[in-house]
Amino acid sequence: MLKTLATILKDNWKWRKQIGHLAVFELIKKTRGAILNWAWLFIKPGIYMLVFWFALDIGLKAGGTNSYPPYFLWLLSGIIPWFFMREILNIGSNVYHRFSYLVVKVRFPLSGISTINSLSALIVHLGLMVIVLIVYFSFGMPLDLYLLQIPFIIVVMFIFFNIFSVLTSQLSALSKDFSNLLKSIVTPLFWLSGIIFDIYQVNIDWIHTLLLFNPVTFFATAYRDALYTKSWVWENPSALLVFLFVFVLTLVIMLVVYKRLHKEVSDAL
Amino acid sequence: MLFNRQQHNGNLKKSSETRTQNISVEEADSDAIIEFSQVSKVYRLYKNERSRFLSLIGIRRKGTTVGVVNANDELSFIIRRGEAVAFLGQNGAGKSTALKIIAGVSHPTSGTVHIKGRVSALLDLKAGFDGRLTGRENISLRGQALGLTRAQIKDLEPTIIKFADLGLYIDQPMRTYSKGMKARLGFAFAVSINPEILIVDETLSVGDRRFKKKCVRRMREIITDENVTVLFVTHASEIAREFCTRGIVLDQGKKVFDGPISEAIAFYESNF
Repeated sequence: MLKTLATILKDNWKWRKQIGHLAVFELIKKTRGAILNWAWLFIKPGIYMLVFWFALDIGLKAGGTNSYPPYFLWLLSGIIPWFFMREILNIGSNVYHRFSYLVVKVRFPLSGISTINSLSALIVHLGLMVIVLIVYFSFGMPLDLYLLQIPFIIVVMFIFFNIFSVLTSQLSALSKDFSNLLKSIVTPLFWLSGIIFDIYQVNIDWIHTLLLFNPVTFFATAYRDALYTKSWVWENPSALLVFLFVFVLTLVIMLVVYKRLHKEVSDAL
Repeated sequence: MLFNRQQHNGNLKKSSETRTQNISVEEADSDAIIEFSQVSKVYRLYKNERSRFLSLIGIRRKGTTVGVVNANDELSFIIRRGEAVAFLGQNGAGKSTALKIIAGVSHPTSGTVHIKGRVSALLDLKAGFDGRLTGRENISLRGQALGLTRAQIKDLEPTIIKFADLGLYIDQPMRTYSKGMKARLGFAFAVSINPEILIVDETLSVGDRRFKKKCVRRMREIITDENVTVLFVTHASEIAREFCTRGIVLDQGKKVFDGPISEAIAFYESNF
């Protein structure tokens, strides 16, 4: 298993330049054919965010009145990582079909194909983070040490979801059931996470515990801790331990699956 | 030149291009660039998706497999640097499977494969091009997919563009290209990247008459280069006779003849 992990890391390192360039090409492809090309990468999440804010703050009055820091920031810091995670769940879990050329026509490391997609999602995410920080400071929020958590969270999120993408894309290549299953859990993963409500407000214990096992909860909460609640990730050890458990479990399953299936993928596509 | 062959020759063992699958065996022939020993590729045909999936995760029950196809059956051969070899055989004889294994996109079920050198395949000229990107960008995209560095691609770009001869279209999105134009760019790319192993799958008839002539001329150049190994897949005997020196005839995954091209063609034509 460690050998599989070493192979995956070695492949990704050896092909890092190609992976980087292909990730940029992915973004270029997305932006072609529109006058506002690059702007669309940010307009879409922007509209999504505004709609949620309108529905929750103005419509449902979830934010209460005159709270400080503003409810908008609470919502923003939870939703921003979601855009990255949604990209992996939607596309990252089916990369071999999208990049079938790299699988069946040329010899490209399979795990690197997931990285291409994750990396292009990460570039957009970094752009969004710049916008988030502009909004953050324009609300008069302080420049403090808690913000230092963000780069680490981004790195962990990238690694975790890249592992997830390698795992699910292998499974999706072999059976359509997996891609269908993943497509149908994207919405539940969003609503059964801490993105638009505080899971600590849920009074039923077992539901609360269950929600902690959703990695989306961990990342939404971590971003919120840094930008809004102003606490450190380790101040909530149970959430951190549960996430570590999920992380290791996902990694182990990915390695087992990759070892067993990677030679079958090109025949199965 | 782009890929320093001298250096490559000296470092065959260390070269990153050296690829060994399964168990490595002692090297028998220092000139061998492709070495197949006892290579089998088995495709299982299942009753339905469910049994296919169950078998992949290790659950094999009786009656779920409706058939087993030996696409390659204990195939053994050695191809040396600079050879031009034709693979002859009917549809389903296992030619494409063998070439896929050489290209490194498919893995043998059993047996050993040694490949030394960069493989460029003319199997599907238009695959991997993206309609939203320009021709020039697609050259870069495909180069990256093959593992070339940015500097290498920059070096190759003028040669490819000159060979494809698409004029102003090279900077237009590829969705505006005609079929022939796409194939021209694909061919130009495949023959310009100085491959060490070139796989050609009946794709010599690309573009108009003038371009076809250019392709044939370029192919001849590549074949006479003693550093390049060329593998042809074809049904048309004339093309094989013109370009190749050796022929391997396959039937139902097995090698049934291996020898000089004229004898191989005679064997193929009298038996199939």
